[in-house]
Amino acid sequence: MRQAGAYSGILSGGISKTGPHSLPLARIKKIMKKSSDDVKMISGEAPIIFSKACELFIEKLTKRAWIITMQGKRRTLHKEDVASAVIATDVFDFLVNLVTESNVADNKCEVNEDSQVIVET
Amino acid sequence: MDMDEHVKLVPIANVGRIMKQILPPTAKISKEAKETIQECASEFISFVTGEASDKCHKENRRTVNGDDVCWAFSSLGFDNYAEAMLRYLYKLREFERQRANQTKGSNDEDTDEAASESENQEITTT
Repeated sequence: MRQAGAYSGILSGGISKTGPHSLPLARIKKIMKKSSDDVKMISGEAPIIFSKACELFIEKLTKRAWIITMQGKRRTLHKEDVASAVIATDVFDFLVNLVTESNVADNKCEVNEDSQVIVET
Repeated sequence: MDMDEHVKLVPIANVGRIMKQILPPTAKISKEAKETIQECASEFISFVTGEASDKCHKENRRTVNGDDVCWAFSSLGFDNYAEAMLRYLYKLREFERQRANQTKGSNDEDTDEAASESENQEITTT
């Protein structure tokens, strides 16, 4: 049985404040299993890696979306801001269809490496 | 929001918590924004796993391990995650090694989730 707090001090170095893992390992394992028929067995460490990586991913996407929120002089992060952040970031290309299915981002924005937003007209 | 019962998503409460931690205290997050990021995070896991699993399949290995996941990060352009997660993986394995050494001589039942460099420790998923 996993011990609560077993990882938080040693591995996260105090960065994570949400307990041993920020995302539940069993759920991550389920998502991994469903991703492809090829996936047969998953080592115990893989969901742990994803728990951390997903946290970083969510942080990155949130930060970039928030920049667009601020550009619009708003204080509420909307789904369109997330969509714009996805479209503006090359490495998030795999998400473009996901965020534009029911919703099209109104503005074409670029977020450069200095985290500045350049709105294309 | 599970529109398709075949699609598994990371819990929205966890997503919201992570988002809150990174945003200024006065920031507000719409429910739809949380749901969108929930879907994106889940797709991220799926996408990377698919790539890692392809590699294992080509190399006739049955188990997707931490190295495969880190390799997939790199292969798909998430270079900074690849490096950071490799370091994390090594720390994790070191921790498990130490824990295994401490429990040596007593029960070994507790090691089903233990990371191991040996190919013999394959974890069955149900």
